[in-house]
Amino acid sequence: MTIRYCFCYKIEYIDRIEIEKEVVILKLELGKIKISDVQFGDKTEVVKGTLYVNKDEIIKLVLEDDRILSANVELARPGESVRIAPVKDVIEPRVKVSGSGAIFPGTINKVKEVGSGRTHALVGATVITCGRIVGFQEGVIDMSGPAAKYTPFSETNNVCIVIEPVEGLETHDYEAAGRMVGLRVAAYIGEAGRNVEPDEIVTYETKPLQEQVKQYPDLPKIGYIHMLQSQGLLHDTYYYGVDAKVMVPTFMYPTEIMDGAIISGNCVAPCDKVTTFHHLNNPVIEDLYKRHGVDLNFIGVVLTNENVFLADKERSSDMTAKLCEFLGLDGVIITEEGYGNPDTDLMMNCRKVSQKGIKVVLITDEFPGRDGKSQSLADATEEGDALVSCGNGNVIINFPPMEKVIGTLDFIETMIGGYEGSLKPDGSIEAELQIIIASTIANGYNKLSAKGY
Amino acid sequence: MHKGGTALEKFIITNNDKVYKKYKGKYKIVFLEKGSYTDVLNETRDYIHNGCKLITHPMAGSLKPNQTPYKSVIIGKTSEKTDYSSVILIENSLDAANKFLKHKSTPKWNEKILNDFKTVDLSLIENVIVNPMFNIY
Amino acid sequence: MDKIRVVHYINQFFANIGGEEKADIEPEVREGIVGPGLALQSGLGDNYEVVATVICGDTYFGGHIEEAKKTILNMIKPYKPDLFVAGPAFNAGRYGVACGTIAKAVEDELQIPVITGMYPENPGVDMFKKDLYIIETKISAADMRKAMPKVCKLAKKMINKEEILSPAEEGYIERGIRVNYFNERRGSERAVDLLLDKVAGRPYTTEYPMPVFDRVPPNPAIKDLSKIKLAVVTSGGIVPQGNPDRIESSSATKYGIYDITGLDSLNKDKFMTVHGGYDRAYVLENPNLVVPLDVLREMEKEGVIGELANYFVTTTGTGTSVGNAKAFGEEFSKKLVEDGVGAVILTST
Repeated sequence: MTIRYCFCYKIEYIDRIEIEKEVVILKLELGKIKISDVQFGDKTEVVKGTLYVNKDEIIKLVLEDDRILSANVELARPGESVRIAPVKDVIEPRVKVSGSGAIFPGTINKVKEVGSGRTHALVGATVITCGRIVGFQEGVIDMSGPAAKYTPFSETNNVCIVIEPVEGLETHDYEAAGRMVGLRVAAYIGEAGRNVEPDEIVTYETKPLQEQVKQYPDLPKIGYIHMLQSQGLLHDTYYYGVDAKVMVPTFMYPTEIMDGAIISGNCVAPCDKVTTFHHLNNPVIEDLYKRHGVDLNFIGVVLTNENVFLADKERSSDMTAKLCEFLGLDGVIITEEGYGNPDTDLMMNCRKVSQKGIKVVLITDEFPGRDGKSQSLADATEEGDALVSCGNGNVIINFPPMEKVIGTLDFIETMIGGYEGSLKPDGSIEAELQIIIASTIANGYNKLSAKGY
Repeated sequence: MHKGGTALEKFIITNNDKVYKKYKGKYKIVFLEKGSYTDVLNETRDYIHNGCKLITHPMAGSLKPNQTPYKSVIIGKTSEKTDYSSVILIENSLDAANKFLKHKSTPKWNEKILNDFKTVDLSLIENVIVNPMFNIY
Repeated sequence: MDKIRVVHYINQFFANIGGEEKADIEPEVREGIVGPGLALQSGLGDNYEVVATVICGDTYFGGHIEEAKKTILNMIKPYKPDLFVAGPAFNAGRYGVACGTIAKAVEDELQIPVITGMYPENPGVDMFKKDLYIIETKISAADMRKAMPKVCKLAKKMINKEEILSPAEEGYIERGIRVNYFNERRGSERAVDLLLDKVAGRPYTTEYPMPVFDRVPPNPAIKDLSKIKLAVVTSGGIVPQGNPDRIESSSATKYGIYDITGLDSLNKDKFMTVHGGYDRAYVLENPNLVVPLDVLREMEKEGVIGELANYFVTTTGTGTSVGNAKAFGEEFSKKLVEDGVGAVILTST
């Protein structure tokens, strides 16, 4: 115990010295190590684009959490006849090579600002946590066949951690255990990329406000409002370990998210779940950076939440609009996570930010019913006149049987998008698109969209 | 329990016995023991028209109305007239619920799953009640 | 190969029977083509045969919807059609509603492809666009030459079970059905472009048009009802017996103002309803169900309300275009204000 305490103290001490040396610029170099295959091996390492993972070490790591009774590791590669279910979270393995803080600060590492220095990512590899959490909010991933094209994870090499909780473990605890297991395994595998020369290095940089405005004075000042799911059990998101529902809207440098400042603790409807992978690889942030200095000036990110308490919504949307005004933004993109309750936050943010004279574009997915004839959203506002659609989640999809199932199909009929009779005796499935992980994710990661017929 | 001078008298409308057991005696509860998801929304609508406003979003939780059988909504009694934003919100929620139920009714779940649904529904309400701001609304 | 059998529906005008004065003719069926059926037959080509044409007066249809629907369905069935075409109705409101109603009934009952055509502002469009393919036409029958080939082209695709493309490609009115497709670029990239266009003031197009709510903010509450003059306005089609102003039973183009001076309730011998959108039996028996004169008179006597205006305003709501409804309201509101009416009860059915 004493030794551990000293160790912690030492790390903090070193951090403090580093701060003094740190240059003011918040620049992140993201080293992309391209992974084209995953295999079991004696050592967890990356050799010529192949990720080798040591199964025993991973299982040992998972079982350190005494809430987990048993764990298994299975691999799923693109094109294989494999179905993964029920999926809780997907995480890209990353490691912080230099700069302040460590990956997933506030959750598995100490709270310390991240988003500068150098980070390595094993691009093309993921860690997937699966196993029954509650039996209705997790989703499905098919690695091949007609349903594969709806999820980005049919194209990645996946290390799947199948977990079983100890008898009688309470739902909240099981969710927390599953969440931590995924992050710890991803950090463990990410370490394998520490000393590997990346195939590509992308530099992202946003300066402090005054300097950033001066850098591209003639370009429109653009921001991003990132709404975090925060309704309660299986509906929570964490920013540096803070539960988003008890946080007030705040400013984030866009690079912070790439080091795991935001992690997913939710299993909302599978189709619009923003997995931790999607936080690390937020498409709006990536695409705004692509145009940064070209035809826009990317000022930064405003984080806000999607609470159940209507008074919280009022406060959060007021503060979000205030922050956007304070930053002097000309335009913002707003994304949401979930359907129903979050639609109200989306519209409140849209209305209040627009009323500040700031132009708004919304990204969302749609639930207009199986025949596509009903209202797509649960709320609306006339200011929402520029919206990008990520598709209709109610469409029925047929999944042919797969040779191998990682996890179990026992809960298909109870999962969101499934229904009585969804699972056929031969292992094929008929279900709504919403059963597939991240198929209509409302941050614009996919190419799927919907149009009026 | 201390209540601010302007705090509303609150009701929980629910068909979830976990919510009922946890909060009976502490809050007024309209417990629709045999009621459906839409019964709770309809009851909520009636209260709104009789001078109540919504404290929580009626569609809280990402579970679709034809998925979970449980729903809990907190409302507050206003001395004023009808709260129009509450009327619009509850009507939108009823429309959305009926849209889902039109195509597929809620399945008959086993006890274990029903229990999970109750836990999630309770969690959504718990998080609001522990909010320090709850007692001034 | 047997020819594909087609039944066509038209109104009295297109059948050359007559205009408004003949609008109350009952349904009839004729073998082969009538009027615009010629253009339909030539557009569909030799593999198709228009085997029968059903004709019905617009007023008759509007006034006897359920009955007309049943009669017409029974007329169509013996011809065993593979395809049903109604109209096109252009901007004729009652004709459009009739085309939509009967086309939907045929689709539901006979489960065959159905198609019609209308001008986008025809009230039949809003009522049936979600259920039917409605080819977009110009305002008048002068467009028949161009409209019918579009009807035929889409009808053939439906018969051949070919993929129906987007509204712009096929020429039908957007049905408000959301269909998935894969865009060439991901959503976030499209969002950046959309935002930069919006910020720069360039034209931009949303991928999902928000539903338009024509919300009217409620007026402040009435302070003292006992000092106010109250009037009743209804879209429930209550008119004096005989319908002196010939208010249409659906897709109304006019409203009426009727005197109730000295009456304690609406007597069924003096008042009726012409509304074509609900079961009228109870209201014909007791018109106070829609215009609650009986209760209001009591409240007037009790002093709950100050005074009741000596008339009520009425029209038919079903199928009436929003444009017409707005125009009615703007017009009669002036009279209400002039007459010192301080509050109105709107009843609908």
